[in-house]
Amino acid sequence: MTKDDCYQVGHITKTHGVNGELVLFLDVDDPTEYADLDSVLLEVKNELIPYFIESLAIVKGSRAIVAFEDVDTIEQAERLINCGAYLPLDNLEPITDETRFYFHEIVGYQVVDANEGPLGIVRGVYAMNAQDLIAMDYQGKEVLIPINSDIVPTINRAEQKLNVVLPDGLLAIYMEDGAPDKAEFDGDADDSDDTNAH
Amino acid sequence: MARSLKKGPYIDFRLDNKVQTQNESGRKSVIKTWSRRSMISPDFVGHTFAVHNGNKFIPVYVTENMVGHKLGEFSPTRNFRGHTAKKDKGKR
Repeated sequence: MTKDDCYQVGHITKTHGVNGELVLFLDVDDPTEYADLDSVLLEVKNELIPYFIESLAIVKGSRAIVAFEDVDTIEQAERLINCGAYLPLDNLEPITDETRFYFHEIVGYQVVDANEGPLGIVRGVYAMNAQDLIAMDYQGKEVLIPINSDIVPTINRAEQKLNVVLPDGLLAIYMEDGAPDKAEFDGDADDSDDTNAH
Repeated sequence: MARSLKKGPYIDFRLDNKVQTQNESGRKSVIKTWSRRSMISPDFVGHTFAVHNGNKFIPVYVTENMVGHKLGEFSPTRNFRGHTAKKDKGKR
């Protein structure tokens, strides 16, 4: 099984105790959905290796203390620190709600703006702390679109389209060539002269 | 040392003017800014800012829980490519 057939649920952060237990950070919306996992694929040296779970306890929100079979000592557990944890895509429950979607499923979808019409193709999704961004190919350039219910209201799975309501001027920012007008600058852009003036 | 409370939060006056102008007119177009050090005030909520990260503009849709932070916090300057390929995350 390759990473293309899987999605990442989190990663191992550190050991827990001396009996081979590990702390698994679950980077998901609802960690409690994963409390009954039987096995997980860990990425060790760029290969996905299945590990069977003896016990898994969700603690502190997104963290789980997990014990794997055949990992009984802290030395064995230390080798797994920072390994990504993956599950097969088949495990995901399909979403029928057109206002929600998995990030991996929208890759390749066409972005359709309410005003501009069809725009480009979703190349990927950047997951960031505060907000997530859709990366779209548009006229040979990468356009970033924030993901929230105002800007990305619905998805059309049948036609593989992502309906968006882009704020005015978002596309123009990425289509501009050359330096902006001096009058447009604000904040830090014109402070280069006085930053060292003590 | 924290900024004196007497001064209030720092917001670049030109950026503040742009937001006030849009709030008065009721428009909500993307506001380009280089002012990463400006604090996000409650007036900014619902606006989309294109915050420069030294290389390009990163769109930031301001929500209530961003108030009190600096705009630059949401426009990373490094490791932007380090995203995960597949995640089990629904739309927030």
